[in-house]
Parts: sequence; structure tokens; C-alpha cells
Amino acid sequence: MMLELVATALITLGTVFFIAGTVGLLRFPDIYCRLHALTKADGLGLALIALGLALMADGFGEVFRIILIWFFVALASATSGHLIAAHARRVDRERET
Amino acid sequence: MHQTVSEERQADTTRLVPARAVTVQTARSSLPWRQFLAKFIFLALLWAVLTDFRLDALIFGIPAVLLGAGLVFILPARPGWWLSLRGFVEFALWFAGQSIRGAVDVAWRAFTPTMPLDPGFRSFASALPDGAPRILFLNAITLLPGTLSAELSGDEVVVHMLDTSADLDADLRRLERRVSALFGLTSDEEVSE
Repeated sequence: MMLELVATALITLGTVFFIAGTVGLLRFPDIYCRLHALTKADGLGLALIALGLALMADGFGEVFRIILIWFFVALASATSGHLIAAHARRVDRERET
Repeated sequence: MHQTVSEERQADTTRLVPARAVTVQTARSSLPWRQFLAKFIFLALLWAVLTDFRLDALIFGIPAVLLGAGLVFILPARPGWWLSLRGFVEFALWFAGQSIRGAVDVAWRAFTPTMPLDPGFRSFASALPDGAPRILFLNAITLLPGTLSAELSGDEVVVHMLDTSADLDADLRRLERRVSALFGLTSDEEVSE
């Protein structure tokens, strides 16, 4: 019961960060600032949701799979954030010339 | 002759060199099969846990694990980096704290009606060697508060900042020190002393 409450609190907090990431995506002025919102806020949102779900998981295998999902999403989001920013820089430079 | 050597040393003094990587390289390059076996065992365990030890899943598991481990023959691993367990735990804890700060910071900026942003680009010259340390450095920058690694040209990292009044150099030097501690790197200056 206690565990479920903690898990629910973590998952709720996680969705708040996902909403923050989306609000940032809509409100921030340019592509670079929007990437900040998506990589950082959504990353913590996923970590909190994953932690909440891991608390309620039955068995080590499930916990392990949740950790793997979190790890690969975190790696992919930081890497693709960098790649999108690098591409945007190239496009910016081409427009200037 | 003499001059070029001293010039090279001068240029290299700020670079970080792996403390133990050289011996590892010679030991490993002669034993690709051993590397294959290590990868095979690691991937097989991973597959077993992922599929909850189901035997019928091995129809896909065995070919996948063989293919994955076989990649060592096409893409030989770079000279190994040693991660100390203590260094890893320290880095992971510090990094978790920093990425929470980063997420809270950007969420606060997104929700605040006035949206306090002063974005801009800064560049930073990294002394970390190519490969795993630099990739970790670039990815970590993106998760730190207010910074995003936008471009890499040579040793220069172009960083996008949400708030350009923050002290970028101090933050990134700290991160660089942490990454080199994690990989057991020491700077040349320390080695020669």
C-alpha cells in the first residue's frame, strides 16, 4: 500500500516534467532552447516514471528491463539532441552565406 | 629537431592521456577470440534476463548473440578504458543530481510566465581524448543545467546556453575533471611530476 502510494507520487511527478518539456517545446523561442526542454525535462520525467514502475514491478527481470529502457532512451535523447542541434547550426550557416 | 620535439610537448601538456590503456591494447589485439567470448557471455546473459530465461526465445537469441559478438571481428574495440567502480558510483551520483537540477531549471523557465531566457552560444576547448571520454562529455553537457552541446569541431565544443550569464568555463572544467577521473585519465603535467 505504502509502496503503491510512493510509486503513484513518482509517476505523477514524472508526468509533470513531461508536461514541462512540452510547454517548453511550445513556448521557447528557437530550436536550441526547445531541445533543452525536451532532453532535460522529458529525461527526468521518464526516469521518475521508470522508478515508479520499477517499485511496482514483480520480479527482477522486469526491473532490469525498465532500467535498460531508461538507459537507452537517455542515451538516445542526449545523442539525438546533439545531432539535431549540429544540423540546425549547419543550416543556419548555409542561410547566412 | 630539438625544437620540434619541445614544441610538440608544449602542445601536448594540456592534453589528457590514458594512464593504463597502452598495456591493455597489446594484450587484447592478440586475442580477438577472447574478446569474442567475453562479448558472447555478456550478450547471452543480457538476452536471458530480457526474455525471462525462456527456452523458445533462443531461436532468435542464439543468432542475435552470435551476430552481436561477431562484430568484434569487423569493428575491433578501441583500446580499453578502465572504469573504477568507485569512480563510476561517484560520477553516477553527481550526474544524477546535476540532471535533476537541469530538468528542474528548464521546467521552471518553461512554466514561468515571463520565461526568463538569455540564450546564446559559447565555445569551449576540451582536453579530453577522442572516443568514449569525449562522447560521454558531450552527452553529459546536454543533461547539465542550462547547457546543450550543439557542435563539435576539432577540440572545440560549441555549447548552447539557456542563460549566457552562467559561468560556463567553471562548470565544464568541473565536468571534464569528473570524466577524466572516471576513465582513470591523468594530465601530462601530473605524469611528469
